[in-house]
Amino acid sequence: MLRAEILKLTTTASTRAAILIAALGLIATQLAFTLLLPALREDGAAGADVTADLPIIDMTLPENQLAALNPFGASMSTGSIGVVIVAVVLLGVLAGTSDFRHGGITGAALAEPRRSRIVLVKAGAAAAAGAAAGVLLAATALVTLVITLLARSTSLTAPLPQVLGLLGRGVLAIMLLSLIGLAVGLILRNQLAAVLVMLGALVLEPVLLSVVQLATGTLPTWVQLLPASLSQAAVGSGGALAPGTALAALAALAATTLAAAAITLHRRDV
Amino acid sequence: MDNHTPAPITVRHLRKSFHGVQRVEDITFTVGPGRIVGLLGPNGAGKTTSIRMLLGLTAADSGEALVFGKPFRRLADPVRRVGAVLDAGGLHPGRTGREHLRIAAAQGYLPTSRVEEVLETVGMTADAGRRIRDYSLGMRQRVAVATALLGGPQLLVLDEPANGLDPTGIHWLKQYLRSFADDGGSVLLSSHMLSDVAQIADDVVIVAGGRVRSATSLDEALASSQGDLEDYYLSLTGADERAPHAAR
Repeated sequence: MLRAEILKLTTTASTRAAILIAALGLIATQLAFTLLLPALREDGAAGADVTADLPIIDMTLPENQLAALNPFGASMSTGSIGVVIVAVVLLGVLAGTSDFRHGGITGAALAEPRRSRIVLVKAGAAAAAGAAAGVLLAATALVTLVITLLARSTSLTAPLPQVLGLLGRGVLAIMLLSLIGLAVGLILRNQLAAVLVMLGALVLEPVLLSVVQLATGTLPTWVQLLPASLSQAAVGSGGALAPGTALAALAALAATTLAAAAITLHRRDV
Repeated sequence: MDNHTPAPITVRHLRKSFHGVQRVEDITFTVGPGRIVGLLGPNGAGKTTSIRMLLGLTAADSGEALVFGKPFRRLADPVRRVGAVLDAGGLHPGRTGREHLRIAAAQGYLPTSRVEEVLETVGMTADAGRRIRDYSLGMRQRVAVATALLGGPQLLVLDEPANGLDPTGIHWLKQYLRSFADDGGSVLLSSHMLSDVAQIADDVVIVAGGRVRSATSLDEALASSQGDLEDYYLSLTGADERAPHAAR
């Protein structure tokens, strides 16, 4: 069954498209962070007023190198959701809804009448795809950083254990985000509805954070438990939660949504 | 069949409603070993819903549907016991026919070698590398039938399997099903093509308005209607089809 679900993912263009878009988005963001912004500030090409507002990004500093390695590519803290998060969540959503859209769920239910097991193997396949995407994105972030450092005649000063820790947590967070997308897809079944719901949730999350922060003057714990915030906190990029705690909370969120998907699939006709 | 061997299909008093509308009111029939049973009825009669309840895809409100003496969901290794064609096969248009079958084989823990065997059986080897979006309806139906045959099942449940098949394909399907049954397999065949059913079925179950109007052998059905299955069918279902017009 697991092999079948992995074959389903590898034989559809949507999986490859989601990973490709995530990688391109990551490269674009990293290059902007490591090359474009420092160059604009140094050259003053953007004009004096703009240049003064640009952050000083000293790429010789380990903390800036670690920030540039964020596999979600949102190191600039723009307050928006990055392409990578959207793409990996949609990777899961498409994995969860494809069978319903094209009728493959009937074949799956005929081959494996225990519905909870269908959810389990779909989760296994989505986790494998998410992890593979995460490894690819982590490698892309590292290679992009090394190339830009070489281009600026700068060496990698970030400690290796911290580099590996950040990338490892990033891979796990990407895998867990794809599982949340899968669960939402299995619950909603309609592909367009699931895509719109997840896009809406991801786009609204930073808006909600800003509104709550403005209204209360602080960030309550519950808003820090939303998926995009947890993902950023897991790689140490924002949020009050420690990376390990954020990763554990993200895993709990993924497990909860998958349990809801299993119950939903068990109760509904397919 | 001895008394201890459960029938391939036993359906008793199935009922199902959707959003308060009763779609299946009382469906009871059996399919014995080595028999081809034609499940006939007008659109909306409850055939597909009954088949889906039989296969555990739709939960019945009441009644019992057993496959080899058990609810489908409790069958061990269901792919090797039951092959089904439903919903036009659940084919993803972006995959090739061969990829679809490889996935189906993996779902049933079947060896990949079975894929080429069933492609050969349904005459789709040459086109197996093409995307399903480029297939004709008949070619899709052949792939769906191939999927049902993958596990070498003892029972085939086919919902409108001849849809889109050309005359050669229909001829092949009839011959295959007859040979399958002659070798001891059982077939439940839902179809609107009465003449084709009349050529291969052993028994017919006629449903209308969610109820079984007749469950008998084909010979008895023909004997009671001067050898015309269509007359027999219309005599049992025609009143239901005319009712909405009469009510206007």
